[in-house]
Amino acid sequence: MTNLVALNSQTHRILRLEPARALLDHARVNVVSVIPREFPRLLANYPIFFTKSPDNGQFEPAALLGFDRGENLFLSESSWDAVYIPLQIQRQPFALIPRPAPAEANAQPALDLALDLSSPHVQANDGERLFQDDGRPTKFLQNISSMMSALVSGSNEAYAFTRRLAELNLIEPVAIDIEFVNRSTTQMQGLYWIAAAALKSLPAAQLAELRDREYLEWLYFQMASLAHVSALVARKNKRLAGVTAAPRDGVGDALPQ
Amino acid sequence: MPSRNDSRPIRHILIVGGGSAGWITAGVLASRFPERGEEGVSITLVESRGVPPIGIGEGTWPTIRATLQQIGVSETDFLRECDASFKQGTQFAKWTDGSGGDTYYHPFTLPAGYEERNLAPYWLEGAQDSSFAASLSFQAPLCENSLAPKLITTPEFAGLANYAYHLDAGKFVPFLQRHCIEKLGVSHVYDEIVSVHSDEHGDISHLAMKSGNELSADLFIDCTGFASVLIGKHFGVPFLPKRDVLFVDRAWAVQVPYVSEEAPIASVTRSTAVSSGWVWDIGLTTRRGVGYVFASDYVSDDAALEELRRYLADNGDPAAALNFRKIEINAGYRQEYWRRNCVAVGLSAGFLEPLEASAIVMIELSAKSIANLLPGCRDDMPHAAKIFNETFRYRWERIVDFLKLHYLLSRRTDSTFWSDNRRRESIPESLQEKLEYWEHHSPWHEDFPHREEVFSAASYQYILYGMGFETKTPLSLLNDRDRATAREKIRETGRYAKTLSGSLSSNRELLAKVRRFGLQKI
Repeated sequence: MTNLVALNSQTHRILRLEPARALLDHARVNVVSVIPREFPRLLANYPIFFTKSPDNGQFEPAALLGFDRGENLFLSESSWDAVYIPLQIQRQPFALIPRPAPAEANAQPALDLALDLSSPHVQANDGERLFQDDGRPTKFLQNISSMMSALVSGSNEAYAFTRRLAELNLIEPVAIDIEFVNRSTTQMQGLYWIAAAALKSLPAAQLAELRDREYLEWLYFQMASLAHVSALVARKNKRLAGVTAAPRDGVGDALPQ
Repeated sequence: MPSRNDSRPIRHILIVGGGSAGWITAGVLASRFPERGEEGVSITLVESRGVPPIGIGEGTWPTIRATLQQIGVSETDFLRECDASFKQGTQFAKWTDGSGGDTYYHPFTLPAGYEERNLAPYWLEGAQDSSFAASLSFQAPLCENSLAPKLITTPEFAGLANYAYHLDAGKFVPFLQRHCIEKLGVSHVYDEIVSVHSDEHGDISHLAMKSGNELSADLFIDCTGFASVLIGKHFGVPFLPKRDVLFVDRAWAVQVPYVSEEAPIASVTRSTAVSSGWVWDIGLTTRRGVGYVFASDYVSDDAALEELRRYLADNGDPAAALNFRKIEINAGYRQEYWRRNCVAVGLSAGFLEPLEASAIVMIELSAKSIANLLPGCRDDMPHAAKIFNETFRYRWERIVDFLKLHYLLSRRTDSTFWSDNRRRESIPESLQEKLEYWEHHSPWHEDFPHREEVFSAASYQYILYGMGFETKTPLSLLNDRDRATAREKIRETGRYAKTLSGSLSSNRELLAKVRRFGLQKI
């Protein structure tokens, strides 16, 4: 059970956290939602699809980390095997929680930075301190704070982006059938990507609009990132047998040209 | 055979009347025949200003999803603008014997195994510790708990369980109107008919309008409601009353606010039998629509109103300030629906009663048939009319049968309304024959030979076995293999119902999410 508690410089002054180990507790996922501002860095390793948020049904960009539920092929025993870790995982075990608002306030509640105190990596001895002796937040905590703000504004940006793409019919479902080196197969469900043909035939005015809103850039980052599906299959095959094999029917062939 | 001399194509269609019938027909035809220019089909709808819709047809059948999709509206827009909610079937309370626990479901999802084999006899043979619907349809528990038929991630018009909608007809009509005019190129005229004019063969040539204009067309579609201006008044096609079979002829209708903003929105139409008819209870997103359909031969208007108030009071609804409206129902249909170059759709063609919500589905079926049959030229029209008339006569008769089934299976004894409903002379021969056959044979596909039956064998099974009808299938017609299949399907159904119940949100919660976020098209 998680125990998210709003951070307070008085009560939590002596707490320390081992961030590298703490985040690994939250890394056993095969899909993680990401924000457009991370695309350039994600592009080095991860295929970026769209998935639908189970909470609101909206499309959100998401990095694929594995093929089975809970399978993260970037996760080795003690570390994350890639230079960049998606923000949504980096920020763990911190979260934002709505501040209990006075009854008359009908507006969006303010958000408080909170920490999961049930994490075994939160303690008083080792790791990064959250607060300095005088109660001011440490560099580490400031960094976490700005990460959280980036995620909030990034998620709004991401939704605006996908809403517009959906309106323009630029998102389509994709079915990926993969056969691994041990002949086991998997069919990925619930993934969507850019409808490349629709993008190609988009009228100039709309294309210009996408360009002006930076969306065109993001689209191409995503399209380019799909090359990593093969690399991900290779990671899985390596685990399965220590050899690499190409995906069946070549997922690479289905990539937008 | 009359000489064939009119090979002009049917290019001008005039829809007369702008209620649900008029605008659904306009939408179906306009989306089916999208070309408007020199070579295309022109579709005009004329209606008089300020004719309020009858607006009791707030329940639909799952066919409405395909219809809306064909017309080209978005499900999100539809749900938001028509205050629509998801409907997964009908719950019948107190129909069988009137006791407190007397309730059963007619869900939209087909019974398990229905595509391959008839498992009803095996359910009957078994211990029956669970109702027919709950044993063979995973949907019954979803209905019971007012759950949604889909998730926020499910694309528009797709469902995890089969569904239709409850809708506010007063909002549905303007919604369709806007779409038909703005997106589908339907011409729209406000005017009133002064007189109907014929050519030398007896076809309608044009309508003289109050504005002084004349509206001519190759095909006239009569959507004038109970007034039945063209098929009834002009052509004099006889009306066949069905009150000797279906006794109800009046209704009290009322709009009821939810008791709280968190009150569940039922995902079924609730139909509760009372002394001389039944009460409908339909949940929209904003309010409920409730009404008592009764037979005036058995209960006075005042007493009926009192009963309806009691129904509301039993539900905890404060009924004091509500505005009750009386509606006349004249159950029956025309002898023909398509005469010469005129075809009737909606109430002008017929209406029975709101039980099982057949009004809107008949409009959809009519519009679709007109689109499918639209003849290549005037000479071919009699053939299209013949097929249409045969098909729809059959459909009206089958609906009468199916509605009557609900009444005659009742064992209620609290009024002569119910006992008279069981009298042999009030039961159509077609239904009586089937009932006798079903004493030894569960309803199955062959009993309903038409391609598109309004009510299939599945619907009959849900009603018959929901109301305790006993089919005694001889053992010689049963076998162990199917017996095992039935057991397995019943287990599977239970498991699936549990899984779904765990992941579906309440009807109210999903509708609120749709309002806020919308559903995706894919």
